[in-house]
Amino acid sequence: MKIKSYHWALALVGLVLGVMLAMQFRVTGEIQHNETIQRTRDLSGQINQMKKERDSLQAQVGNLRAQIDRLPSSPYASQLKEEMDRASVLAGSTELAGPGVQVTLNDSSISVKPGDNPNLYVLHDEDVLRVLNEIKASGAEAISINGQRLLATTEIRCTGPTIVLNKNKRLAPPYVITAIGNPETIENSLMMRGGVAETLLFWGIQVSVKKLPQVTVPAYTGGIRYDYAREQGQ
Amino acid sequence: MSRSIYLSITLVAIFLGLIMAFQFRTTSAVDKGVPFNREQELAMDKKQLEKDLSQLREEAADLSAKLDEAGKGNQIFALESELAKQKLYAGLVPLSGPGVEITLDGYEHARVTPTPVHDDDLLKVVNDLRGAGAEAVAINDQRIVATSEIRLAGNHINVNMVRLSPPYRVTAIGIAATLKSSMEIRGGLVEYLSDRGISVVVKEQDNVSIPALNSIPTFDHAKPVQRG
Repeated sequence: MKIKSYHWALALVGLVLGVMLAMQFRVTGEIQHNETIQRTRDLSGQINQMKKERDSLQAQVGNLRAQIDRLPSSPYASQLKEEMDRASVLAGSTELAGPGVQVTLNDSSISVKPGDNPNLYVLHDEDVLRVLNEIKASGAEAISINGQRLLATTEIRCTGPTIVLNKNKRLAPPYVITAIGNPETIENSLMMRGGVAETLLFWGIQVSVKKLPQVTVPAYTGGIRYDYAREQGQ
Repeated sequence: MSRSIYLSITLVAIFLGLIMAFQFRTTSAVDKGVPFNREQELAMDKKQLEKDLSQLREEAADLSAKLDEAGKGNQIFALESELAKQKLYAGLVPLSGPGVEITLDGYEHARVTPTPVHDDDLLKVVNDLRGAGAEAVAINDQRIVATSEIRLAGNHINVNMVRLSPPYRVTAIGIAATLKSSMEIRGGLVEYLSDRGISVVVKEQDNVSIPALNSIPTFDHAKPVQRG
């Protein structure tokens, strides 16, 4: 009698376990064939393809520009080229090199105490914006951040832990800002008392400035087109 | 009898182990799964890439056409038209188009204690306008280019090393409605600045004129990298 009741209980447990196991199998299968995952996979495949195409187009454009630059010279032509070199620094269309600094920004190394606002210890778009503004104010001629050239139209936006700029270029910390200009002047204005770096360092945000005799700032890798702005008088 | 109990228990334990293992795998699969906004993000990336690609194709076609022109002996024409384009992107050409005009002043608003407009405020306004697709921006007719700073200097704000005084008039060319709503969005800059006692007026305009940078700067440090 006693043995029999044991057996019943075991049989019941076995049955329940079996049903659970079957359900588990089905759920696992569904997740693996989830439609969203499939679609995202397709999308990122397409995106990678498009990125490759963009890079090769970019190289082609760079090559064509170099050909224009090599056009035979007359005095007037070299004057035009000289002016074009200056304009292209601002337009961001050429790769540039020169003395400058490398500024590295990273989230705080301080461990957040319970009750503290963790938001204070992470880098925000505003902080990056301020550092970039300070670098511009100290006379930097060309700037890039994590390899993305800064243009007149470059925005800096926070999306969660990453920063988006030039519309769709997503950057993750650490942020490495490369700027061409007078290394001393840039370092001094960043690190001055009451300056940008001091405020950031207070929250434990890591700021380091490295002066270098030669840095390279890449050309802008996207396309530019004005859809709304027209030249005046046209 | 005791042996059969042990056997049953062993069996149950094996099943439990299997179930637990599956559960672990399922859970980690769910963690690796795609959150909804990741898909949206990818879709947005794709849209932007499509735009980039079409712009780059246009650029390549334009440059090839100029090289063809140069090949026919028209080098000066090719150089002049390429220079004109570089100047356009550099901010050395005055532009006009639809957009917004935003006026900021710290001392007109009586509702809260008035505060002056800070350089940070203008920096954020310009940054938000760029994010909303502004193609050209100026503050009190100082064109914002790649090297423009917006910086407090005493009671003034310097832009392109030129001293500006309030009220600050920020002009931007782009889709007027998009630019306007990027300012007036809930929790956006108009709300934030008004709370600080700064008066902000955003006006949509059919035609905004934005001047060129006053002069082409000379660059002492940056040199083009020669390729090929």
